[in-house]
Amino acid sequence: MTSAATVLRPQDLGEVQAALRDTTGPLQIAGAGTAATWAGLLAPVDAVLDTTALTGVITHNPGDMTVAVRAGTPLAALHDELAEHAQHVSLDAARIAEGATVGGLLATGDAGPAALVFGSLRDVVIGVTLVLADGTVARAGGHVIKNVAGYDLAKVVHGSYGTLAVVAEVVLRLHPVPKAAVTVELPCSLAEAAEVAARVLGGPTEPAALEWTSDDLLLLRIEGTAAALEARTARVRELLGAAAVVAGGSGSSRDAGGAAGAGGADGAGGADGAAINAGGADGAAGGVGGAGHAGGDDPWARHAALTRGDPAAAVVRIGVRPSRLPALLASLPVMAATAGLGTGVATVTVPAGAVADVHARVHAAGGTSVLRARPAGAHLPAWGPPPSAVGVLRAVKHAFDPDDRLGPGRFDPWM
Amino acid sequence: MALDSAVRQAFEQALSPADVISDPVQCRAYECDGLTGYRVVPDLVLLPRDAEQVAAAVRVCHERKVPFVARGAGTGLSGGALPVADGVVISVSRLNKILEIDPVDRRAVVEPGVTNLSITKAAAPHGLYYAPDPSSQQVCTIGGNIAENSGGAHCLKYGFTTHHVLATEVVLADGTLVTVGTDTGEQAGPDLRGVVLGSEGTLGIVTQATVRLMRVPESVQTLLADFPSIAAAGEVVSDVVAAGIVPAAIEMMDTLAIEAAEEAVHAGYTVGVPAALIVELDGPAEECGVQFEQVKAICEKHGCTRLHIAGSADERAAIWRGRKAAFAAVGRISPDYFVQDGVVPRTRLAEVLDRIAAMGAEAGLRVANVFHAGDGNLHPLVLYNADAGETEQAEHLSGGIAELCVEMGGSLSGEHGIGTDKACSMPRMFSDDDLATMQRVRAAFDPDGLCNPGKVFPTPRLCGERPGKYQAHPLEASGKIERV
Repeated sequence: MTSAATVLRPQDLGEVQAALRDTTGPLQIAGAGTAATWAGLLAPVDAVLDTTALTGVITHNPGDMTVAVRAGTPLAALHDELAEHAQHVSLDAARIAEGATVGGLLATGDAGPAALVFGSLRDVVIGVTLVLADGTVARAGGHVIKNVAGYDLAKVVHGSYGTLAVVAEVVLRLHPVPKAAVTVELPCSLAEAAEVAARVLGGPTEPAALEWTSDDLLLLRIEGTAAALEARTARVRELLGAAAVVAGGSGSSRDAGGAAGAGGADGAGGADGAAINAGGADGAAGGVGGAGHAGGDDPWARHAALTRGDPAAAVVRIGVRPSRLPALLASLPVMAATAGLGTGVATVTVPAGAVADVHARVHAAGGTSVLRARPAGAHLPAWGPPPSAVGVLRAVKHAFDPDDRLGPGRFDPWM
Repeated sequence: MALDSAVRQAFEQALSPADVISDPVQCRAYECDGLTGYRVVPDLVLLPRDAEQVAAAVRVCHERKVPFVARGAGTGLSGGALPVADGVVISVSRLNKILEIDPVDRRAVVEPGVTNLSITKAAAPHGLYYAPDPSSQQVCTIGGNIAENSGGAHCLKYGFTTHHVLATEVVLADGTLVTVGTDTGEQAGPDLRGVVLGSEGTLGIVTQATVRLMRVPESVQTLLADFPSIAAAGEVVSDVVAAGIVPAAIEMMDTLAIEAAEEAVHAGYTVGVPAALIVELDGPAEECGVQFEQVKAICEKHGCTRLHIAGSADERAAIWRGRKAAFAAVGRISPDYFVQDGVVPRTRLAEVLDRIAAMGAEAGLRVANVFHAGDGNLHPLVLYNADAGETEQAEHLSGGIAELCVEMGGSLSGEHGIGTDKACSMPRMFSDDDLATMQRVRAAFDPDGLCNPGKVFPTPRLCGERPGKYQAHPLEASGKIERV
């Protein structure tokens, strides 16, 4: 799509500034490329600003649990580096395992099942360094987790898909890697899962993640101290009924390769019950590509594969009041899906021809939607109806990028 | 009065004559917020009854280029609701309805004049509560909380207002009514919600908010521990964090603050002890129990001289009453005081407290310290006697402490906002380009600059020559960040 474009690969902040200041014309900001097809189809650009050389930790203060990192750093690599301190960024978006960068995850507003407790990246970003289209370097926030000085510009670029500014550096709040984690699986339909989820969320068990996947499984993750985990698991299983079993694999997909010793096995102790993973996964997710990390018995790797969806079809990200989610999903031609029953956030694979209808139905349910993947080059509507504040969005875009250089087409037809 | 009668009539038409206050004596009630050192009597005070009336009033402002300042309960501590000369105050006190409590999706829809605590009260029958709990929660409004991105004692674990407000309806500076944010954490496009949150009333007036409600934790464990030194208490905080425990709250008070609080509410604090910590854990019973034992052991390891564990909800409430009353209680030991709100990286707490003590000694003023130790948010209370002519010294010391926090890699404000109070210090923390970029956002929302002008950003009028030249940020000077 941008094969004729010049690739600029700045090595530091100064080079990012120069790349923007010394050029004119439309420009694409690219990270690892794990979300290159998300949102609106990119219009032709003169140049691609590749952020993948902007890597590495700038400062990590383990005692303060904050880290400043260059935006091209893959989050998985950052997690590897933080693992020795048993700290991590509490984000488990599906594409982290594929090499997604911190800046890319911020620009796409991505999040995973852990959003139930920790929210998305917008909730843990405490500082940001941006470079505007004219080369202006602007910082906001800081290096402390509590800070209300000035406007929170990190929020402006959260979900901006590279249309407002280059994210050059990001400061993040860290959380302790849970000492132990366990996932309980319950085979059930979405409707059954919704009922169970309401019961769980109405009780005191405080799950770390609560997701239904279209291989008809409810996944419930518990995280905490090893000493308390067994009792908590027992309580959850009681709540979920006899069909619930403790899943195999790590407690959390994001920890699988990183945080040593933080996996689920230690706390789960002698948990019985094999993972119920036969049948379901290959049925619904059989055609899903890019599932190289989908370990056979790791439910969260399966979940990530289903969230990434089938690139031969279309993938739409949805958010709606949680109680409305089951009925909404039931009304869509879902080929594969993951659904956060506490968060109201779902990712669905649907036939390409159904995307416009998906946007309309989500909007009618009071929700929000964006196209995440499409068959190569297909012209599909990326966005639903514009929000009431679209005028402000356009004004911010004009203020940051008056010549409309960055990410042309991404927000078509909103701006 | 600088605003002519035609303007007043336009407001009276937009609202009703009874809802427009023009009597200077009545207007005087709105001349300041909780930062009483700054006072400006507004020309008019508007008391709209719903969002439509707020929008109508703002449209009049837009058409006639009248600056306006939104006001909730006026409890802010940074002069964020300070009226502007030749302008109007738009009070949201009558927009005070809780529109919806949704126990299934655990959220509430409220108007901006609703008090923080009343949301929790309305949610309580469902076993739910609204998490951010600023000390003023009985009287402060959710609209003001949104403007300031308020925190509270429990935000270490649960986050700030921005983590709990999913969506807001906002009257923009041209009088249009829009919604930013959604029903969930997911939203298509940039997070304008998160920009409005904490913008101190400079981007519009919030007329409705959808907030998250949390389930009341199954177990809550609270302890009050005395220590022989601030440093020892600080080590407890470090060890708790290093153990991977995220307490619901971890608060520290020094001798002066303890003395004041105990005198005011008799909460069972030990007068004379150098430092006291309040640590609260909550969560599922098993989890909470295990971690509480760890915290107790850490306290003992660091020479805790007294460990008081709240044995009942009443005892817990008493501990918190002392902490939350600390600001007001200082009034008992000093005729006047300033409250500061700077933040330092938590690991530098002991160091910054030493520096503050030295600065206080040099100025000949006492400084009491009450703070959120878990997140490094200090609340130094600078005690002075205005009648003895100490005001200017105290102001100087107070501002110096905020700027010291920036120098140590922190922030001017953790939760009270920049407002009028610290606008002139902003160049200490941000470069001209940083501030100019924020101003681009400001102009995108409010091209005429009518919406709470003079706050957050330094202006020559407010700051004289002070904003001046940018000085290298300490992180920059030490090579931790690069500036080009």
